[in-house]
Amino acid sequence: MSDRKSSRLILPGLIAVTLIAASAVYLLRPSESVASQALDKAQSAEKLQSLAELDGKAPTNRKLDVQTWTTAEGAKVLFVEAHELPMFDVRILFAAGSSQDGDVPGLALMTNAMLNEGVPGKDVSQIASGFEGLGADFGNGAYRDMALVSLRSLSASDKREAALALFDQVLGQPTFPADSLARIKNQILAGFEYQKQNPGKLASLELFKRLYGDHPYAHPSEGTPESVPKITQAQLHAFHAKAYAAGNAVIAVVGDLTRAEAEAMTAKVSASLPKGPALAKIAQPTEPKAGLSRIEFPSKQTHLLFAQLGIDRADPDYAALSLGNQILGGGGFGTRLMSEVREKRGLTYGVYSSFSPMQVRGPFMINLQTRAEMSGGTLRLVEEVLADYLKTGPTQKELDDAKRELAGSFPLSTASNADIVGQLGVMGFYNLPLSYLEDFMKQSQALTVEQVKAALNKHLSADKMVIVTAGPTIAQKPLPPPTDKPAEQPLGVPEH
Amino acid sequence: MNALARRAAGLLLSTVCLPLSALAADPQPTHEFTLDNGLKVVVREDHRAPVVVSQVWYKVGSSYETPGQTGLSHALEHMMFKGSAKVGPGEASLILRDLGAEENAFTSDDYTAYYQVLARDRLGVAFELEADRMASLRLPADEFSREIEVIKEERRLRTDDNPMSKAFERFKAMAFPASGYHTPTIGWMADLDRMKVEELRHWYQSWYVPNNATLVVVGDVTPDEVKSLAQRYFGPIPKRDVPPAKIPMELAEPGERLLTLHVQTQLPSVILGFNVPGLATAEDKRSVQALRLISALLDGGYSARISEQLERGEELVSAASTNYDAYTRGDTLFMLTATPNQQKKKTVAQAEAGLWRLLEELKAKPPTAEELERIRAQVIAGLVYQRDSITSQATAIGSLETVGLSWKLMDSELADLQSVTPEDIQKAARTYFTRERLSVAHVLPEETAHE
Repeated sequence: MSDRKSSRLILPGLIAVTLIAASAVYLLRPSESVASQALDKAQSAEKLQSLAELDGKAPTNRKLDVQTWTTAEGAKVLFVEAHELPMFDVRILFAAGSSQDGDVPGLALMTNAMLNEGVPGKDVSQIASGFEGLGADFGNGAYRDMALVSLRSLSASDKREAALALFDQVLGQPTFPADSLARIKNQILAGFEYQKQNPGKLASLELFKRLYGDHPYAHPSEGTPESVPKITQAQLHAFHAKAYAAGNAVIAVVGDLTRAEAEAMTAKVSASLPKGPALAKIAQPTEPKAGLSRIEFPSKQTHLLFAQLGIDRADPDYAALSLGNQILGGGGFGTRLMSEVREKRGLTYGVYSSFSPMQVRGPFMINLQTRAEMSGGTLRLVEEVLADYLKTGPTQKELDDAKRELAGSFPLSTASNADIVGQLGVMGFYNLPLSYLEDFMKQSQALTVEQVKAALNKHLSADKMVIVTAGPTIAQKPLPPPTDKPAEQPLGVPEH
Repeated sequence: MNALARRAAGLLLSTVCLPLSALAADPQPTHEFTLDNGLKVVVREDHRAPVVVSQVWYKVGSSYETPGQTGLSHALEHMMFKGSAKVGPGEASLILRDLGAEENAFTSDDYTAYYQVLARDRLGVAFELEADRMASLRLPADEFSREIEVIKEERRLRTDDNPMSKAFERFKAMAFPASGYHTPTIGWMADLDRMKVEELRHWYQSWYVPNNATLVVVGDVTPDEVKSLAQRYFGPIPKRDVPPAKIPMELAEPGERLLTLHVQTQLPSVILGFNVPGLATAEDKRSVQALRLISALLDGGYSARISEQLERGEELVSAASTNYDAYTRGDTLFMLTATPNQQKKKTVAQAEAGLWRLLEELKAKPPTAEELERIRAQVIAGLVYQRDSITSQATAIGSLETVGLSWKLMDSELADLQSVTPEDIQKAARTYFTRERLSVAHVLPEETAHE
């Protein structure tokens, strides 16, 4: 539920960073398992005393008092006071993602990445040492819908005020120096070279192209090898002036601040931004043409991506689709897809489905990797699982389990300041009500099997799928029959 | 987050073991007690949200393993999900999933740990499942024969087919000539091929006892409720002697070593590692704090020396980093890696020379007070930020306890760091950055193999 959607790729994702793995820590990979219903089985057998003692009620959740106001320049603010720790987080989200690139793919991301490279009187090193000398963490990122800039700092007034003053400058008066622009272009271009070795990335690029055609979601946020070299300083300044305007911003604040302090702080940030209104909302995409594209790639495994247009953030069916998706392939083990493709046939380590509700209709996607010689059969199997699910809908049991899991994990979604500022940002950016988290939970818990099935069929159709595969062309083998204990171990690691 | 934020986060990670500070704020109440069977319990109260994290840490990992039996600790971690007296294979994970819990496990050189994050009213379920597999793991032979194949596949994918992982594995095998730290946690393939479930059973019986474990609980709980739950579920597990565990000691100056590795990569890189003590083995604890600060001076953010001089200034490297883990059971490494900037046609040799220039600079000239203050400010802030996550807090406590240091170190840590002078830093650089302590690896693309 907590999310920053769409393409996560930004500079470091493009550049293969050599990290030191000093103490190699091996994380658990979810292990094989048979069927779901474990909780019921365990309870009925009364093997676990602790389970028998749970009263079955949903757990309590942290009560969030979300306050909101609008700054003089028109930026919407969402604020939660949290005085337990002497720190605060501020995150500013602009409708300045790559869907606003216009005819310069990569412009939004480049503008965002260049913000902290120079301000009047300070070069990139001075800005960095300014934040770091205060113990403050500056962060930024650009995606399809949004660009964001964030600051985490100690709340003691000497630290706070100095960090915010620098933050305001970076947001309001970036100089976009030429040497930095050349360096960052180089990094992005190096990333494009590196992408050529990554079949999953190539498949994803092709998928968005197919799914969105001429729509601004079609191109990747980082731009293209053709577009990036041509980006100019003047374009960055122009983009900043319109897209980083106060009227185009949402400010989320959490931490050790009083309401008055938060108001003063957000008033200053807002005043330091360029003046201007929110940018016009982008248009809804048009329906893509269904069908299959293949990318030839000499890998052992074949990547399979399936997608169709899903929903936007304002869609009233979001709760039903989210729960419905949880059962299809949103969770880990025990989902329809995981059970059929991995648990019964050992064709993959992980298969996942997701809705990405965005400003306008984001994708519904299913993705997995499988052994190349099984890719044809696996592709058909996934299609069959989806078609069958749409036809029959979830069982009552599946729906009850998904509701229970959702209720149980809900308190985890607002446990830390970092969690809360993320939730506030999404709520503000997509104009959701302040009671959104509770509403979502209530709506989800009230859903019936019929409602979930109806919502799924309203938005998805088995024959509308856009499919992209990346892998080698080799002789195909038939799929093994379903069993409880797959004999052959699948290749590949789950994608997360 | 982009690169910059992530780099700052890197510094926080390197200070993951020292959450609290006198300067930061009042510490959250933290309690410790030991059950009669020797299980040590540390509870930190954090009442911000009705959630809790429970972690069980066992003092066993790959550095405890002997040649021919590498990978046992990690394989046992996998098998801990394959059923115990009260639950069948995979069942515990499904129970936790249905309750909305997050769970995970990890194995390292020094420890094996298991954790659950869940709504506070479900803590008993986490304890009961964890206690059950501490006391009565099933280790079924048929599950093992399937799981060992999964582990081998994991090794192929994550080490053998992953150029940098493979390079680090080979590098460590060379850089630790005397201690168990040369053993890769996942195990050598030849040892995985001949691993028997009986060996795992023996490993389990030897090390998985309450008196060799630490239970860490952080969240919206009181020490009394944790104590009574811990007593109820873990209390009945009998104590048992564990084999003697020797601290991994290294040669101080093994001599210069060079490894050239050709792997399937686009990007060449260089790794440097110096044999140095950790906090548990150093006679002069200040030298350890000095090394920690050196790591931060070089790589603690976008304004640190590597970033400023090598990445942006000379545009010599496209990425570079340092790592010094002071919180190990034994002697450790100070490591640096760099990838030359290929867009600027830089070579591995040039990148290596660039790293050495930074090290020589530290030897020649103590850092300015101003630069040190900037580093300390990040560390102090990091101590506060870490407390935003109950999992980070628990991990800090658990790892300190498990490597033989006390979680209370967290409280004195800041003072220890602050006592380090610029001269201490120069002295540490001169003592440790020598050829006799050095291992070097050149990791090159396969195409150049015959040049």
